[in-house]
Amino acid sequence: MKEKSILNVPLLPPSWKKLGYVFIPLPVFLVIGLAFVNPQMDPNEASQIIYGFWAIGFGILNLTREKVEDEMIKSFRQQAFQTGFYWLILGLATLMLINYVRFDRFTSEIFTAYLVLFLLNAYIYGAFQYQKYLSSKSEN
Amino acid sequence: MKNTIKVERAKKDMTQQDLAEKVQVSRQTINSIEAGKYVPSTVLALKISKVFGVALEEIFELEEND
Repeated sequence: MKEKSILNVPLLPPSWKKLGYVFIPLPVFLVIGLAFVNPQMDPNEASQIIYGFWAIGFGILNLTREKVEDEMIKSFRQQAFQTGFYWLILGLATLMLINYVRFDRFTSEIFTAYLVLFLLNAYIYGAFQYQKYLSSKSEN
Repeated sequence: MKNTIKVERAKKDMTQQDLAEKVQVSRQTINSIEAGKYVPSTVLALKISKVFGVALEEIFELEEND
């Protein structure tokens, strides 16, 4: 594949990982702060803020390259995106089924773009880290 | 696919890190290839065989389940 192909995904420098990690605890403090300022805040709004920040955080982590971005890491990354998408579809189908059994309908207020993006990015990140862990488990 | 990278490294007194630097990958990648957990691309396999100065098929060998 040529480097300039539109299929080529440019990755962020490794230093961006720190920013990605900052986005994980940040919304928790933000929501606590907002709750103090506005005690009548809708809890659904708070959860959407958290999902949104986590989606961005995991998105940054997924699009940040490793120190050595060699062919094995690239292959892990591709596999992680595929696995993450599979888990997302499976997870959403399960949530829909649970919703149907409990409330007699498939749709739910919890299915927001923020939640789906967060789950997708979290699954991709988990799959990528798991592959790296497996590859380093039996170090010679 | 099995390989004899570990043996070839021992013959040349090379560490995984030395080989990794020569073929421009991480040491973890060399470790995974040696352990049979990762099958390298043709380009990387050719680079490895070039470093050892032996034919590709002398290092990499197909197994029955491949």
